[in-house]
This record gives sequence, structure tokens and C-alpha cells, in this order.
Amino acid sequence: MLAGTVYGVVLNDRDERAGLADAFAVSPYKAPPEAPVVYIKPRNCFARSGAEVFIGDEDVEVAATLGLLIGRDAARTAVADALAHVAGVCLALDVTVPHESYYRPVVPLRCRDGFLPLGDFAAFAPSILTTEIVTTVDGNSVHRWAPTRLVRDAATLIADLSAFMTLAAGDVLLIGLPYDAPCVRAGQSVTVTSGSLPTLKAQFNAGDAR
Amino acid sequence: MKRARIAHEGRVLWVEVAEDGEVLRLPDGGSVKAADAVWLPPVTPGATIFALGLNYADHNKELGFQSKEPPLVFLKGPNTLSGHNGTTLRPTDANQMHPECELVAVIGKPARSVSVVRALDHVSGYTIACDYAVREYLENYYRPNARVKNRDGATPLGPWVVDAADIADPQALALRTTVNGKTVQDGSTADMVMSVAELISYLSATMTLMPGDLILTGTPQGVHYCEAGDRVVCEIEGIGRLSNTLVGDKAA
Repeated sequence: MLAGTVYGVVLNDRDERAGLADAFAVSPYKAPPEAPVVYIKPRNCFARSGAEVFIGDEDVEVAATLGLLIGRDAARTAVADALAHVAGVCLALDVTVPHESYYRPVVPLRCRDGFLPLGDFAAFAPSILTTEIVTTVDGNSVHRWAPTRLVRDAATLIADLSAFMTLAAGDVLLIGLPYDAPCVRAGQSVTVTSGSLPTLKAQFNAGDAR
Repeated sequence: MKRARIAHEGRVLWVEVAEDGEVLRLPDGGSVKAADAVWLPPVTPGATIFALGLNYADHNKELGFQSKEPPLVFLKGPNTLSGHNGTTLRPTDANQMHPECELVAVIGKPARSVSVVRALDHVSGYTIACDYAVREYLENYYRPNARVKNRDGATPLGPWVVDAADIADPQALALRTTVNGKTVQDGSTADMVMSVAELISYLSATMTLMPGDLILTGTPQGVHYCEAGDRVVCEIEGIGRLSNTLVGDKAA
């Protein structure tokens, strides 16, 4: 459903960074992160809005964010030019088995089959970057945040990543995750909205936890 | 059988490498000399690229790490790949940039909850990666972090994929890296902490592996810091020799 690579970043939430400042100073981290902390959601994760996500007995964390669709390769791109490389935007629900440590990559926890439901893409307009993202579980609004909370805003993030890794046309960049994202269990349904973007829905069901 | 991916007269083609290695057979029946080929990384677009850290007992000892569960798995983007006889950028401040010769397993059939015993049935072939790392850029967040391991063109791959049927035992292959002709890595896939079969079984327990997906299985000991201009050759028994040249930063 996507031709490109989906990149995301953790620890890009200002509120989260403030809360973890003491932890960053000690082992195993020893210093706060400098470069963006990047992960990839591989193709087995991709799911369309409305898809079932199969999980086991454990709760999973569901972090609503924006996926920026790159329209033109961004390599060594300046902050001022960065958003000109973005063609589209969608809502994304980054699903992970909850975990505490940021020391090692967590591929088997964050990259299970179906763990990235994506909404339909719309044309990108910068106003979406200041619009609240609302997560609803079983009809109850449970979480709200806005990308204004990001340590690196979308333009800075694209510029800093493009210093060493090209964001290619067709790639999708998940701009950051709220540290206080809600958890859901099997049987619950999640809806994500933001402004006029196409709504994203996902149904979490018990099944082969993968 | 060896299969390579090349750029040829304006198209990207998968070609067969003739027995003598001198000629590449094109899909239309024509051929080109291997010496004239523009080699591309032998990967299908969209493939997931898994990589393993700390998967050789001897390398772990060298770096001061204990072998431990679970395995250190990370992912790489297609931006990192480059073909045989290509170049890789050595940043001006990368005084601790070193090559890592790795056996790469190519998935041939979807794999989901596969047992160790059946795992190799899902491998279509093997190739070689030279997975450069820049140790100055290591940070203790999702380590090894993207600035170390997801750099543009810093993972040469190839020259070709050798059919799995032609590799009797992937855990009994000699690996070697030379820099300007001097051997800097000299190991064996027998020293892997988790075998190719064990890795496929482990990964397929939580993710469906798809045809074309790559698993870079880690590297043996031998950390050697390289300079711009160095010619780096990674060689694996029964597969071939992957050559790459480091170049300085033109923009610096």
C-alpha cells in the first residue's frame, strides 16, 4: 500500500523529554539524545483504516500521530526548504507493546503485523502541524495532543534527518509520538481525527498476537 | 546460480551470472561483460532490511559485550544500500568508521511462525553486505542508532545473490574483509550467536517475513578504522567478493 519506507522518531515530545531528564543522565543513556532517535515501521506493519489489529492478552499502546508523505527527495535539506519536500499527510496510529527502555531498538515489540494503521492521504498544508490530534476509544475521547509539543518540529526533523539519510519521494515520516498515549485491549475500537484529515479507525481484536 | 541486478541501457535488470563469472546474461538473451556492468544492490524494492548487532561471539568479546538474549535486531532503509564497485561517503569527522562483513540471507517465501528446523526452506539465497559503522556517532538510544547505521550508501550489498541450493551450510562459511589488500576481518559464520535458521524463526514469531526481505546476520571481530580512498573488499566463501571505495565529503 506504500512504495516507500516509513520512518518514525521517539523522544520528540517536549513533555516526555522534561520527565526523563534525570534518567538521561545515568546509565545506560549517560547523556541526553542529540540526533533524532529513529525507528522504521516495515511493510508487515502497514494496515488501512478500518483494519483489524490482532493482539494477545496484553494491552498495547496506541500513539496517534501524523505521517508526512515525502514528494521530492530530501537530502541535506535546509530547515527553511524542508516543508517544500512534503506532498501529503495522513493520520497514523503507531501501535507498540509497551516498554520502558530506549537503549536498544524494540523491533519485535513495535513492528508486529498490522501495527501501523494509516488513514488516507490528503494534500499537505502546514496548518495541520498546529491542529489537535484526538484519539477516541469505544466512543470516548481519551487523548488529545498537538504537534506543537514536538522538540523538533516537522521542518527541523526533516532537515536533521536529511543530513545523513535521504528521505525519498514516497517515504512517510511519522513526526513524533505523545509520551502519554493511551493503551487499549482486545475488543476495543480506536478512532483518530485531526482537523479535516480523513478519519483513521482501527479495531483491536484477540487473535494470533503477532 | 547467481543473480545480479544491474543498470543496463536505461533500465534496471536482473541478470544471471555465467559460470565463469565473466559474463552476465540478460533476460532478452543478450549478454554484457561483468567487467563493464553497473552493479546495483541485489534487492527488490520495498524489502524489509533486518540487521543484527552483536551476533558473533568473537566480536562481542572484542567490544566488551556479553552475549545475551534477546538478539539485537535493528532495521535499515533502502537509502543505505549501494552496489558492487560503488563508493561510500566517509564523513570528514568519521575517524572511527569501520567495515563489517556480513552474510545476508534473502527470504524466498513468506515466513510466519516458522520452526528452526524448517526456517532455511524460506531462504532463496545469500549475498554479502559491507555494513559500515561510524563509532563517533554512537548514542545510547535505539543503539546502534540511525546516524551510525542508516547512512546513505553506507551498506554496500552484492555483487549478486547466490541460490540457497548452492550453499550447503550457511554456518560454515569463511568471511574476510581486506582494506587495500590487508586482511582486517577473518572469521567464520560458525561463530554466530544465533544461526540464520534461528534468526528467521525468531523474527517470524512476531512478524511475517516476505520474499525479498534481507537479514544481515552480524559481523565477526576485527574493527579497523578506514580513511577516504581506502578500497574495502568483503568476501564470503561460496558467494563472492564485494568491493567498495571510501570517498571524502565533497561538500566539506
